[in-house]
Amino acid sequence: MARDREQVRYPARIVAGIVAAIVLCVWGAFQSYGSETEYQRQSADPYQIAAQFVRLAPVLAAIPENTVLGYVTDVEPASTTDSALLLSAQYVLAPRLLTRGGKHDWVLGNFTRPADFVAFGKSRGLRLQQDCGNGVVLYRREQQP
Amino acid sequence: MIALLWVLEAVLLGCLLVYRWTDLARCEPAWAGWLLLFGAGAAGGIGLTSCLFFVFGVLLGSHTAALVVELLLLAWSAYEAYRHRARADKAASETQPPVAVLWIAGGLVLALGLATAASSTAWEFNPQGNWDAWAIWNLRAKFLASPADLAPRAWSPALGAITHAEYPLLVSGFVARAWSAGNSLSAAVPQSTSYVFFVALLALVAGGVTVLRGRTLGLLAALALAAAPPLLREVPTQYADVPLAAYIAAALLFSLLDRPVLAGISAAFAAWTKDEGFLFLILFVAGIAVFRRRSILAALAGAAPVGLLGVAFKFLLARGNDSQVTTSLPGAGHRIVDAGRYATTLAAFGREFIGMASGWYHPILPLIVLAVALHFDRERRRDATFCGTILGFQLLGYFGIYIVTFHDLVWQLQTSLSRLLVQVWPALVLAAFVSFRAPEAAAILTRVPQPKARRKARA
Repeated sequence: MARDREQVRYPARIVAGIVAAIVLCVWGAFQSYGSETEYQRQSADPYQIAAQFVRLAPVLAAIPENTVLGYVTDVEPASTTDSALLLSAQYVLAPRLLTRGGKHDWVLGNFTRPADFVAFGKSRGLRLQQDCGNGVVLYRREQQP
Repeated sequence: MIALLWVLEAVLLGCLLVYRWTDLARCEPAWAGWLLLFGAGAAGGIGLTSCLFFVFGVLLGSHTAALVVELLLLAWSAYEAYRHRARADKAASETQPPVAVLWIAGGLVLALGLATAASSTAWEFNPQGNWDAWAIWNLRAKFLASPADLAPRAWSPALGAITHAEYPLLVSGFVARAWSAGNSLSAAVPQSTSYVFFVALLALVAGGVTVLRGRTLGLLAALALAAAPPLLREVPTQYADVPLAAYIAAALLFSLLDRPVLAGISAAFAAWTKDEGFLFLILFVAGIAVFRRRSILAALAGAAPVGLLGVAFKFLLARGNDSQVTTSLPGAGHRIVDAGRYATTLAAFGREFIGMASGWYHPILPLIVLAVALHFDRERRRDATFCGTILGFQLLGYFGIYIVTFHDLVWQLQTSLSRLLVQVWPALVLAAFVSFRAPEAAAILTRVPQPKARRKARA
């Protein structure tokens, strides 16, 4: 026996709204893709974290994991560069712990410019143990007489 | 590569546990149930294995014990899931055909593909993620993955002087677990973790809204999120904001689906992810107590284990570190009465909301279009109020923190507000889609006579 077929329709307002939402979202996805890829290409590794792994490789090899190191630098304190240098060094050297100042037996010197690293250390009671190059220096605290 | 397998193992464990101990896989339509299961399983599996690693690997000092417990749990849950596998004995329920569902699904696949491509570009150019990734989250993962006697450095006050050692450890713990088990500090682990949370978030929203409000709205909700520029910006940063967004959305969604235990677990995972998650947990419990009182005990039972772990960490282990709140208390009185701070913060909220756009596209646009086309469903007013109240107070809490913070206000707003909006945006989208009128309800049925019937009718 033949039966009537049920056909479903939706009001034009609803169909138009849904189609508009789909088009908007797809447009947004392309916009996001374009801006995000452009941004990533233009700001590749802005704090040069990959370079820190190379700079600090000699320290990784020389200092045991459980060491707490002091930290001295020639960068203006509390500047963005200062924070970036300290935190990226901490990231690379973890689980070694870095603390600001030269109070510990081992002290990391993290420099941005060439300088007399021996004199820099001496003025803080530190003896240069190893110049690792690229502004990275390992100091030992001078023994008190 | 092996480290990545441990990421997948966590997702598998979570999915098996959710399959065995919940009825999500039996939700209708079946694909929505499976999406819900995947979303809850991925986010839950990551949270669970992170907690197991923290308790057994870090606190009890044996990474091996953490993995053995995890693998035993995996084997047992696989056996249990097999024993209690669902039978395909349910007939598909009669519903009106959804509107343009293939077009929406196609758009969703396209948007997800574009998001994945954008993320992979970020992984290529910034494999270590953005600032907070290497300065906070992955840094602490490195401590947690190291030998047990060095792991407490992850919350050492000495570390706290230069970064946030008091932050909760779900993301860092999970990354550490995969690094430790895979014996590699591969950047692919934090990258994939962020991405898995993003996909889990989409699966949760697509599946959950479909079960609640139908296929058209479910897929549209996921599409609206997959195309949201601020969310896509956050996925490759390797921060904890996308995981937090996933847990917040999951907690609200499971409440609406009347799964209070899962909702409580999700809210507790939010608290173990970020400090803002603690605020959410408190507001969530208060919201349940007000709007869904009969679910309160089940939600509390779900939230208790991980919530207590988070509280113990904050008040016992990391108590030597000052939090944002405690450091802001001195002088807070002066800042509270400073009207200029309110104006600055309010302006920043407005600016960041507008800044969620990419080019001319703002993620609010599809929501406005759908609100105009579909209108709101009055019967869903209570659900919308439940979500809206919790999220409103969450935003109010963020606003209050900015008012009292001792940090430079402009700097604090510039460096964090956009991420705070990302944390709540998926849940706001969820609340909007749950309150829209389902398009299927507006279907107009007409009977078309078959040719034979027409002839008979003429005779």
